[in-house]
Amino acid sequence: MRIDYKLNDKFDLGIFIPAFVLFCIGLAAIYSSTLNNPHAAGNFQKQVIWGIGAFILFFVIYSLPTNTFKTLAIPTYLFSILMLLVVLVIGKRISGQKSWLGLEGLGFQPSELAKLGTVLALAYFLSRKNTNIESFKDIIISLTIGLFPVLLIMLEPDLGTSFIFFGLILVMIFWKGISLFGLFVVLSPAIVAVSSLFDMYYFIGTLVLVLITLILFKKDILFSGSLFALNVGAGFFTTYLFRALSLHQQTRIRSFINPGADPLGAGYNAIQAKVAIGSGGFLGKGFLAGSQTQLQFIPEQWTDFIYCVIGEEFGFIGTIIVLTLFLYLFMRILKLASSAKDEFLSLTLIGILAIYFVHFLINVGMVVGIMPVIGLPLPFVSYGGSSLFADVLMLGIAANIYRTRKNYT
Amino acid sequence: MNEDRFASVSRKSIVYFVIVGAFALLGFRLFQMQVIEHASYKEQAAENAIKPIEITPLRGVFYDRNMNVLVSNVPAYTLRITPADYDTSLNNIIETVIGEKPGYINKILKENRVYSKYIPVRIKRDIDFKAVSWLEENSEHLPGVDYIVEMQRGYPAGIRGSHMFGYIREITPRLLEKHKIYYKPGDMIGYSGIEKAYERILRGVKGYNYVLVNARRKEIGKFKDGAEDIPAIKGKDLVLGIDSDVQRVAEECLQGRRGAAVAMDPKTGEILAFASAPDFDLNQFAYVTSRDYLRKLYTDPDKPFFNRVTSAALPPGSTFKIMEAVAALDQGDITTSFTIDCRGGQTFFGRYFKDDGAHGTVNVVHAIEHSCDFFFYNLIYKIGMKEWDIYARKFGFGKKTGLDIDDESSGFIPTPKYYQKVYGSNWPKSIMASLGIGQGEVSITPIQMVQYCSLIANDGVTYTPHLVRGYLTNKDKKLVPFAYKKIDLGIRKSIFDIVKQGMFLVVNGSGTAAGIKDKNIEIAGKTGTAQNPHGKDHAWFIGFAPFNNPKIAVAVLVENVGFGATYAAPIAKKMIEAYLEKDKLNEIEKSIQSSLPKNLIGEAVAH
Repeated sequence: MRIDYKLNDKFDLGIFIPAFVLFCIGLAAIYSSTLNNPHAAGNFQKQVIWGIGAFILFFVIYSLPTNTFKTLAIPTYLFSILMLLVVLVIGKRISGQKSWLGLEGLGFQPSELAKLGTVLALAYFLSRKNTNIESFKDIIISLTIGLFPVLLIMLEPDLGTSFIFFGLILVMIFWKGISLFGLFVVLSPAIVAVSSLFDMYYFIGTLVLVLITLILFKKDILFSGSLFALNVGAGFFTTYLFRALSLHQQTRIRSFINPGADPLGAGYNAIQAKVAIGSGGFLGKGFLAGSQTQLQFIPEQWTDFIYCVIGEEFGFIGTIIVLTLFLYLFMRILKLASSAKDEFLSLTLIGILAIYFVHFLINVGMVVGIMPVIGLPLPFVSYGGSSLFADVLMLGIAANIYRTRKNYT
Repeated sequence: MNEDRFASVSRKSIVYFVIVGAFALLGFRLFQMQVIEHASYKEQAAENAIKPIEITPLRGVFYDRNMNVLVSNVPAYTLRITPADYDTSLNNIIETVIGEKPGYINKILKENRVYSKYIPVRIKRDIDFKAVSWLEENSEHLPGVDYIVEMQRGYPAGIRGSHMFGYIREITPRLLEKHKIYYKPGDMIGYSGIEKAYERILRGVKGYNYVLVNARRKEIGKFKDGAEDIPAIKGKDLVLGIDSDVQRVAEECLQGRRGAAVAMDPKTGEILAFASAPDFDLNQFAYVTSRDYLRKLYTDPDKPFFNRVTSAALPPGSTFKIMEAVAALDQGDITTSFTIDCRGGQTFFGRYFKDDGAHGTVNVVHAIEHSCDFFFYNLIYKIGMKEWDIYARKFGFGKKTGLDIDDESSGFIPTPKYYQKVYGSNWPKSIMASLGIGQGEVSITPIQMVQYCSLIANDGVTYTPHLVRGYLTNKDKKLVPFAYKKIDLGIRKSIFDIVKQGMFLVVNGSGTAAGIKDKNIEIAGKTGTAQNPHGKDHAWFIGFAPFNNPKIAVAVLVENVGFGATYAAPIAKKMIEAYLEKDKLNEIEKSIQSSLPKNLIGEAVAH
């Protein structure tokens, strides 16, 4: 086999450049949104320093032997679980959530590490030679690996991050090759759970649909019966869980259903975000000239609502450029995942893609008003060290896999 | 590995399409928001961030004909509370400082709850200076409390002009509903008199300063450095025809009485004085009116709010005889050689009418001089009922004069039709005899009376009575006069000369008002006494001066006192003197100046 020594053969610019450009756009937006805010002074500088650190880490990860990831899969997972437990005990409480660990003056969110740990552990388990994704036992093990961190994160409570886990579990077992029925078994309790948040009629309606589907699959009665019971249980458990959620999260979910009901309350952010984006128009109001941004109509805009800054100040052109960069990045990772010969690496890549994609979809969907306001950062763009390190670290893994893609046959 | 299993082409396609689908959806949504619906979002963003701050322009002031300020603007302090920042536990202490009863602030805040809590609410206007200094000293402990300087009306000329000037007050919800395009809650609006009639000219045009506010509605700077600000346009100053001195005399003379005194320049229609008694103190209406004062005014049996100049409609008494004399002469019913032998009384259509005395043989001039009822009893039958009605209306009776402030009464002039309706087609013609001396079912307002007097004085030509001559331009203070309608009766001057001769004799001959004869000024006039079945008669007097070149026409009404000559005529005389003596001084001054040779003045300056 001929080995190409051109740069592009060893280093995937198609992965690196979009991510780096997104990071730079993010810096500009952070600069703009924190310029007139004394509470956020220095955020830009911090993000620059984190960015330098994160991209150094990128090259470290890039240079590692590729099999390191498989070796470290289970230890990483276990370590992140440990950290999640630690954070529950000694974590800092920030805006109602106990999700931060103070590490020598720098905040750190163990849940960011847990995402990667879970992807690696799940990839490890699913890529074992004797794992059969059609077996009930293996599905349960996969779900347990995936959902155990979710349980701990829910206790913080951090709803947004939990969605990431649901996303990555679903995508990974799908990628592994779960059958339609298997997918149904995994998905139906989740759908029932979401429907139970609306009202009684949605809940009952969804249960009826589940029942009909079960009958259509023509599995044996005992199995179908217990599956149905699981669904019902999931619904009630979610209702219970919803009540256990912090009040501000409950109102956020409610305000998604009707954001106009309380324009100065829970729906405020959603409305102001839309106004910021929409008022940007085609060309935007210009850098540092967005009234919504500069007059701080959106609280903490540099984190989860960073896309509004781009939308307001750089307009449709700006938002579309960001979309295109993400699309290109995702397509590269998807292509790499499908061409990777090693099952573990392929699953890791698809898991990383799932993490990025769910973050992206929920974040952008939220600011344009087609998703509930769930606090999730926009990968590479939003302000925040933990998420930037985690995003770039995963990018490093993807680049690493690209580098050695021809070594695996 | 199975084809539809691990990382299969079909599974890749599904992931691919999910991603592309999501991007398409988000892309479309962004296009919809940023391109299609951009305008509406842009507007919302502007509403969010740009706060217009209203600037209330200075209200126009009133000048009299000699450019003395009659109504001015005086700064006053207004206490305001911004509910969003305010702590209601401060209520007690603030109420004590501004001298209000407990619960006062809560009540006002409650009334204003419908408006945004970020908009300051006016709590009390015209707070005293002690309260202002207290607010100033304790401002850091009083979140959401501030004061602003607002203008209130002042009356520096020492004349009351209650009914004429009128007052301004905070706009009522009902009026606000009607004029919500311009006015906002808390705005002041002209509520009566000239303030009401000329509201649009006086108020000016509000301006707006645009400021940027942040999410907490805190001002953080000017929008575009004030480039988009709209400056307020000051209200225009009005110049009135009023002569302060005549007005002051009229008000003083009417004090303690019920009645009206109004003077007019017969050549221009400008009102020189406009007084109605009893009146009220406009200072009490300058900003906040105490409830006690209002209650007092409303319960007063003499009705101080009632504008007697425009609305007191009473029988004209003998003042009407001039109109009848003009009618008879104009129609050719009589000439000056027509005489009647006054025997002190006569029966008309079965009813006996008496005169105050036997005046002997009188022609029309002497009948006016002596106010001979007997002559006019006969005259009205010569004129005819229909024609009497036509002439009365020609002189402006039975309809509004069109004075430039509203709430005017038309008075009443009976027509033959009216009597037919009341008494049937065979109505008793004896009624006409009372009408002939201005009694019975005929009623006239003082403003109509002064217009009537002006028409006589100026030989049948005058202008619609008006208080306001015009406005001053804001830039160079040039008077822009308003146009008023000319009234021309089309009756020969020779006829007026005859009746005026009679009116001259009323004062300067042996007539009914000989008591007011003035050695310097030739006054002509006519007394009138309106019979009042409920009490003492009402006294009328109309007059003008100087006789040969009338510059002032006066109508005075004093209710429930008796004869016109005794009570009304002296008031008219004082008003005429007040006006013409000053006029004389001016003329002397002028004639001295003009008699000096021009080159002399020039030389004097040169030296």
